[in-house]
Formats: sequence, C-alpha cells, structure tokens
Amino acid sequence: MLAQQLLNGLVTGSTYALFALGFTLVFGVLHVLNLAHGAIFMAGAFAGLYAVTAAELPLYLAFLIAMLSGGLVSVAVDWLALRPLRQRGSSEFAAIISSLGIAQVLMSAGQAISQTQIMRFPFGTFPVVIYEFWGVRISLLQAAILGLSLLLAFTLLLFLFRTDFGRRVRAVAISERTSSLLGIRPNIVYFQTFFISGALAGAAGVIIGLAFNSVHFLMGEPFLLKAFVVIVLGGLGSIGGALIGGVMLGLIQTIAVSYLSSSLSDAIIYSLLFCILLIRPTGLFGKLHIETRVVRS
Amino acid sequence: MSALELCNLSRQFDGLTAVDDVSFSVNPGKITGLIGPNGAGKTTVVNLISGFLLPTRGCIHLYGEDISRIEPAHVARKGIARTFQNIRLLKEASVLDNVVSGFHRHERSSWWSSLFGTPAARQETSEFREQAAELLSRFNMLQFANLPAGNLSYGHQRRVEMMRALATQPRLLLLDEPVAGMNDREADALGEIFKRLAKDGLAILLIEHNMRFVMSLCEELHVLDAGRLIASGEPYAVRAQAAVVAAYLGG
Amino acid sequence: MSNFILGHLSLFELVLVCSILGYSQYIVLRAGVFSMATAGFASIGAYTAALLSVRIDSPLWVGLLAAATIGALAGAILAWPLARLRGVFQAIATLAFVQIVISIGLYWESMTGGALGLNGIPKLVHFGHLLLVMSMVLYVLITLSRTGIGRAFDIIRQDETVAVSLGISVVKYQRLAFVLSGVLGGLGGGLMAYRNYSLVPEDFGFPLLISALSFVVLGGRIAVFGPLVGALILTLLPELARPLADYRLAVNGVLMLLAIIYWPYGVVDTLSLHWRQRRAVRTQVEARS
Repeated sequence: MLAQQLLNGLVTGSTYALFALGFTLVFGVLHVLNLAHGAIFMAGAFAGLYAVTAAELPLYLAFLIAMLSGGLVSVAVDWLALRPLRQRGSSEFAAIISSLGIAQVLMSAGQAISQTQIMRFPFGTFPVVIYEFWGVRISLLQAAILGLSLLLAFTLLLFLFRTDFGRRVRAVAISERTSSLLGIRPNIVYFQTFFISGALAGAAGVIIGLAFNSVHFLMGEPFLLKAFVVIVLGGLGSIGGALIGGVMLGLIQTIAVSYLSSSLSDAIIYSLLFCILLIRPTGLFGKLHIETRVVRS
Repeated sequence: MSALELCNLSRQFDGLTAVDDVSFSVNPGKITGLIGPNGAGKTTVVNLISGFLLPTRGCIHLYGEDISRIEPAHVARKGIARTFQNIRLLKEASVLDNVVSGFHRHERSSWWSSLFGTPAARQETSEFREQAAELLSRFNMLQFANLPAGNLSYGHQRRVEMMRALATQPRLLLLDEPVAGMNDREADALGEIFKRLAKDGLAILLIEHNMRFVMSLCEELHVLDAGRLIASGEPYAVRAQAAVVAAYLGG
Repeated sequence: MSNFILGHLSLFELVLVCSILGYSQYIVLRAGVFSMATAGFASIGAYTAALLSVRIDSPLWVGLLAAATIGALAGAILAWPLARLRGVFQAIATLAFVQIVISIGLYWESMTGGALGLNGIPKLVHFGHLLLVMSMVLYVLITLSRTGIGRAFDIIRQDETVAVSLGISVVKYQRLAFVLSGVLGGLGGGLMAYRNYSLVPEDFGFPLLISALSFVVLGGRIAVFGPLVGALILTLLPELARPLADYRLAVNGVLMLLAIIYWPYGVVDTLSLHWRQRRAVRTQVEARS
C-alpha cells in the first residue's frame, strides 16, 4: 500500500519537475520569474491536443508539435513582454507584471478557442497497459511520464554542462556584460533559453494533459503555483534542484493526501514553502547566490 | 576627544584581507584624508565605519562610544552621514525633497500622528521644508529646488547629495571620492565648502585618490595600500615618504 | 454625470471596493515591499465580517472594524518573518500565504462552509457607506504621503542603501507597510462580503491578486489617486465597450503589459511627473529672465 503510494507520488512529482524545469531555467539565466510559464504550458497542451483530435496525427508527432509550439509561444512571450523591459534595465517587479499580463492574454485566447470547455485526448491515444511488480501497479503512461521527465532533465543538464551552447548560457547567466565582451550575443542566448523553456513546457502540457485526461485554459495555474514550491525546495535556478524538488513535492503531497486530507495537503505544502524561504532562501540544495536580505554581511 | 577612532580594524572576505589592522583617528574641526590607489580598501573602510559591513576584528569609536557592531541605520542616527562614490540621489524626486529626506533623523512625530495628520506632524513637515530651503540657499541652489534631482548637472548633484548629508546634522561626515569626475575648478569650489564646514567644527573624513585635491585640503593624511596603512601624518611629510611614492607610481 | 452614476450604482460600488483592495496592494509597493498578500488579507477580512453578521447579527461597522483589525493582525504576523526577505522571495512567500488561506478556507468547513462557502450574507453595504470608507482611506493615505511615513516609504522604494544611510530603519517601515496593507485588505474583504451575498474560498485566489496588482500598475504606484484611477479604468472599460466584456481577461492583460512597458509609472504618476517637470522648467526660465 505504502509502496503504491510512493510510486504514485513519484509520478506526480515528476510531472511537477517537468513543468518546473523550463521555469527554473529562465530564472537561472535571466533572474526573472516568468509567470507566463503556465500559459505557455497550456498553449503546448492545446497544440498537442488539436494535433491529435483535429489533424489526427499520431501521438509522437503531436508531442513534437506541442514542444515546437510551446517553444515558439515562449519566444513570443519574451519578445513582446520581457525584452522591452530588459532593454530598459527594469526591475524584477516589472518582469513579473508583464509576464502576468501576457499570461492573461494567452489564457483569454485559450478560453476563446476552447469555448471554456474541458477537452480530452480521445480514448486510446495512449495505450492503456498496466504492469504489476511485487503487488505495485504501474501503467505504461506512468512509466512513460517517469522516463520522459528523467530523460528531458538529463538532456537539459547535458546540454548546459557539456556543450558549447551550455557554456554560453551559463556565461550569460553569470554576467551579461562580461559575456558580451567575450563575443557572446546575449540576445541569441535569451532566445534559445526561452525556446528550450517553452519546448519543455509544451512537452509537460501534453504529458500532463494525458495523465489527468483534461486540457483546459486554466490548467497552468495550479502547476505554476506548485512550481514555486518546487523551485524553492530545489533552489531557484537549479535544474537538478527542480528535479529533486518536484519529486519531493510529489511524495509529500501524496502522503499528506492519503494520511491527512486533500484540502489540508495544500496548506501543508505552502507552509513548507514559507518555512524554507525563511530558513534557507536559496533552497535546500541551491548554490546560486542571490542577495536575499538587507542584512549586512 | 577624537570624533572617530579606528583601532586595529580588519575585515576579511572569504579569507582575502581587504582591510588589515588599520588604526587612526579623525578630529572635529579638521579634514582628515584617507588616500590610496584603487583597490587599496578605502571604500571598505567607509562601509565598515557606516555599519554596512561588520569588522572581522578591531573596533570603531564615535566620540568614545563603540559603534562597530550596531545596525547601519542606527549608526546613521548616531550622527554619521556619508556621500557615495557614485552619487545616489532620488532622481525622480525634486531637489528640495532630496534634501528634506536628510531630516529623517530629526523626526519627532509618531506614526499615529503621521497617519492621522495631526497639526504637529504637518508642522514638522513644513519646518523641514523651510530648513531644507535654507540649506539650498546657503549653497546657492535655491533656484533648482523644484527640479527633479536627476535633471541637474553632475557637479550640482554632488552638492545636493552633500546637502542631504548635512541635513542629518552629522557629527562626522564621510566623503567617498566627492570630486571624482570633476574638473579642478569644480573640485576647488567644493573644497572651499568642505573647509568652511570643518571650520564650523565638523569632523570630516575625506576619501580620495586625487593627490592634488587632498594636499590642498587636509591637515592630516593616512595612506592605505593593499589594506594596510603605510603612512600617516602631515600631508607634505607623508608625500615625501618612499613607500607612498612606490604605492602610487607602482615602483 | 450624476444620472450616469445613479444608473450604474452597483458598478461604482464595485469600483470603490476594488480600489480599496488596490490600496492594500499600493501601500506595500510604495514602501518597496513586493507583497502579493492582499488577496489573503481580503479573504480573512471577508470571512470575519461575514461570520459576524451571519452568526451573531452584528452591525455593519462592527463587522468592518473587526475585518480591518484581523487584517492588521495577519499583516503584523506575516510582516515579522517577511520583512527579512527581498524581491522575488517576498513575492513567492506572500503567494504561499494566499494559498494557505485558501486551503484553510476549504478545510475548515464548520467555520467557513468549505468549498460551498458562506451564503445568505445580508447586503449591509451601500454606496454611501463605501464613499465614507473611501474618503477615510484617502484621508489617511494623503496625510501619510505628506508626512514622515510617506517620505520614508518613498526613499526606501527608490534606494534602500540611501534610506539606511539616512538612519531609516528599512525593516521597521516595511513592517508598517505590511500592517497597513493588512488593514486595507481586511477592510476591502469585509466590504466585499457585505456586498456579494456569498463567499467561497476561491474568490480570493490568483485572479483577485492579479486585479489588485493591475489597478496599481495601471493607475500608478506613487500618487495616492493612482489605484482609484486604475480601478476605475479597468472596471468601467469592459462596461462602456460591451464587446470587450467577453475578453475581460485579455483586456486586463494587454493594459497591464502596455502600462508596464510604455507607462511604467502608471497613468496618474506619468501625468503628474510630466506636469511637475514642465512647471519646474517654467520656474527656472522665469528665474533666469
């Protein structure tokens, strides 16, 4: 029984991690909380869904389309809402407001397209197969969610730490000025960062849409709120931290829901977030150093 | 009694010693100079005195009272005012409001009277505005009173910043490279003002690396190099010392 | 004009309630605190006021006073830890507070009615009451702006280091801002309760938080009339231009985006800044001639 719940928690947690990957990537590179990430995720899920229902494409193609659309929407979000502020050197406050603004526009578009309906992937889009090991049941979909989350997280890590592209991204994350003196063009790096972040959100959109069998215009909001917990647990801007934070959140939530109550589980999770912020604002594993207080050093 | 006394002051950053065993004092009625090449630790000393950094070792006394471990805002309320290396004004606020902000230390009305607008609180505000206007006219800046501070020229912004510091009615004034980026004429005009303030009994610590300017103003000079004091004393005697020449000319 | 107001009385009531919530958001932003706790304060205030009138039949002013007091209390408790955090961390922590309030509202069924909420709250608030409350709020905010607290808030918002070097205790003033935000948020929530007939915990979630923010961003963060103007524009626009009403979310979003990119000070502050500049240049010219 406990093993089954831990497994379910692990799967839920990996959906959280998947969502948070792109969110934390943008924060790590630009030091901006992109509150439109939930809306980008929704746009990816819509694209994937319509690829299956309207264009009748196979799921793997729909998945790629969702990633591509997520990436493009994300780049558009940056272009319209965040780039003008960067050029002016505005505060983090301005970025939060403008990403909230564009999120509302995207959500309104989603509302108009879906006519406020909850949409579902047709039955059998993903084969319903259930395996059983030592009394623990796991569906093919759950296994795929786990596998994909790990795969995408590790690809991203490889990308960032083993390629030239990753070196450039990390250089810009440390200092935009210095890296542009070294011949790196920050604008291209930002473009790539937003594309990757959006593509990850699009992938998360399809996977989560399948897992919960529902796609609708407000689907990003709860995940965005959970993503705050994930990235605070793991440390803002840390990719590995997002993975661990997501899984931890999933496990805590599943255990809270099954042993306490489902409405109290949110109170527990957000109180946890609150406490961690106060005790360790850089996260449980975060190394990223940010000025967090006006206390002298 | 000396206005400010540093005794064996040290500060390390992750093992790197930025200020190493520095001792000197600043007396009221005098301009004391602290000079040194870039990176010698001058600004770290300013930040230590004004409480923005905690010393690793040593102590800081203001008129005999140990202030080395108290909060920076509290240090300011004890009577230390400072200007910043890169001028920090409230750029959108008017020149007058910038100067008025310096009077915070002298506010007497409580939060309740500020919230409910008691006559005392209103009276206080208008008094501050009058006093700020007086300061402005003393420095020939009254005609700029209503301009946004960011619209002024560099030299004038420096003056506003200094008037804000004076508005706190400090017992010690820290000037962090006040003439950086100015030509000699502007610098000398500002220097005259500093002299006048010192004559009125204020203790001034002037941090500079413009040797000419320092020589013309200070009665006592301390030279910092790589975090340590390498010379102290009368300006001309200090300038003659071989170590100072070496630090400045890299010999 | 007065006919227009009478014809749309309930709309103007809404504007007033909204702008009080806007002021709860405004006061923290003005002090340089990045709090999003307004929705949480409003929720606590609303449930307090509603329960007082449903359970013990207490009169309007008692309910509102209780709502404001409990909001202040929540603000004070929250301020204690939060004044130590900065920027995005403050924002995230206050978002967590809002979520905690919502989930407690859902869980504590015996008190709050859970997901079904509280129903049958008497409508105790009318336009006159709202005008009275609003004028009191404006009075306090205007006097505050003209005296020490407003000065300290403005300095802290623009440059914390300068504030500290002038002897201003940043943490103390930011705590005060949290408490004031709690008072106004609680009061706004109480007014909502006495106007809406019913409450559910989700009334006080992300959408409310975003609209409180957008009133301030659009109207202005410095001048006292900013949030009122912001609430007026955002509430009336969809009513005046009917086709826009279906896309309320998008209109809100586009206005927020345009305001923060092109008019970062908001409508009122941009205008007053412009006016002050012109006047200053004019007096300077006169002084020279």
